[in-house]
Amino acid sequence: MHFFNVIKWIAWKDLLSELRNRENISSMFFFALIVILIFSFSFSLDPKTTHELMPGIIWIAFGFTGIIGLGKSFLAEVHNDCMEYFQIVPAPKGAIYLGKFSGNVLFMLIVEIILFPLFILFFNLDVLEKIPIILLIFVAATIGLSALGTLFSALTVQIRAREVMFPILLLPMAVPIFIGAVEATRGVFSGDPLPMYVDWIKLLVVFDGIFMVVSFWVFEFILDY
Amino acid sequence: MVISRLIARLQRYEGWFGVAAGLLIMVGLYMGLVTSSPDYYQGEVVRIMYIHVPAAQSAMFAYTVLFGGSIWYLWKRDPIVDNMSHAAAGIGVFFTLIALITGSIWAKPTWNTWWTWDPRLISFTIMLLILVGYLMLRTFLEDKEKEATYGAILAIVGFVDLPIIHFSVEWWRTLHQPLSISTRGVSIASDMLIPLLLMSIGFYLLFTYMLMVRTQMLYLERLLEAKRGRMLSKVHV
Repeated sequence: MHFFNVIKWIAWKDLLSELRNRENISSMFFFALIVILIFSFSFSLDPKTTHELMPGIIWIAFGFTGIIGLGKSFLAEVHNDCMEYFQIVPAPKGAIYLGKFSGNVLFMLIVEIILFPLFILFFNLDVLEKIPIILLIFVAATIGLSALGTLFSALTVQIRAREVMFPILLLPMAVPIFIGAVEATRGVFSGDPLPMYVDWIKLLVVFDGIFMVVSFWVFEFILDY
Repeated sequence: MVISRLIARLQRYEGWFGVAAGLLIMVGLYMGLVTSSPDYYQGEVVRIMYIHVPAAQSAMFAYTVLFGGSIWYLWKRDPIVDNMSHAAAGIGVFFTLIALITGSIWAKPTWNTWWTWDPRLISFTIMLLILVGYLMLRTFLEDKEKEATYGAILAIVGFVDLPIIHFSVEWWRTLHQPLSISTRGVSIASDMLIPLLLMSIGFYLLFTYMLMVRTQMLYLERLLEAKRGRMLSKVHV
């Protein structure tokens, strides 16, 4: 099968099955909503502290949401005994990884885009004219998180302590994404000009590249067993 | 299998590594704690360095062994090399913990805080978390070959991640706050350098000794499990 066709069909399959049962997106969405609500009544924020704390709060919420969603990304395959089919299908294994990864990026972005207006609402953020750059940061950070998350999901999905191991492996490795995303978001919120925080976005992009390449390469070894 | 043969040959002299490590560390400790002079700026606190620096070096060495062994395993599928990587991870946790704890004790009188956003501190802590995650992941997998493969994958991704973490934290600091703490660029007096060198070599030898013993232990454990499995299957048949 052609490389890009495999990516397309796997992503399409995930999207379709998600549309039918809405299991992942709805659990991600409600989890993140609860996190936002807890934060909104834990801190009574004045505008200055909001700008200081918000980037961290946003990325904590998105990071935990990612754990919920990404951790489940190979679960359907295991439940339906499809991992074996992934192993024997005559398609490049890297393409399977990229297909799963594309689906994950899509789900996480959908959830983030639905949730961000709620952040604006609950915390009185004043960032409407900066939406494009915020979206860019979201996309860059989500790609990095999903690249790692898809790999570790495949790594942990078949072991006993799946729910515990996934965040234990993902969170330490995702430190540079969180640093980059939080710092870039902080730059946007505090109204700095773009050149002051563009380096963080570059860091995210470089990180995305490195992790996609490494995961793409090692994914083959996961499916071999 | 080049590496297996090398390990087997080294294991013949395993005891000597232990003896040499013990001697060097004893002499180094004596010189470091008794005969060397206290630091001009830091006073007696500097003596923690004689444990801290060698421990940190050995920890990084352990992680490098783990990384090299993991790549080699994915390439050649040599189970002895996997035992070695597994052993290196466990010993790495030990040395990383020593480095972090002694560093924290040193930081309190010198920087007046137990903990700070220093790139080395963060990347070392992350290294500890990755090593612990590696060991945990391995305990949760039943199939030996799967265990080795998954462990190797995790170690490789983590090793690629470490420099990024280091530099992003360093960047974070340099972009946002003036450098208040820098690693000392002071040249070391010879009565401090000699014990430090002795301790470093001693710790490397200690690491090698521990690695040999632990690799052997893991090999024997695996052998025992295989035998038990065979006996069980006989009973059931």
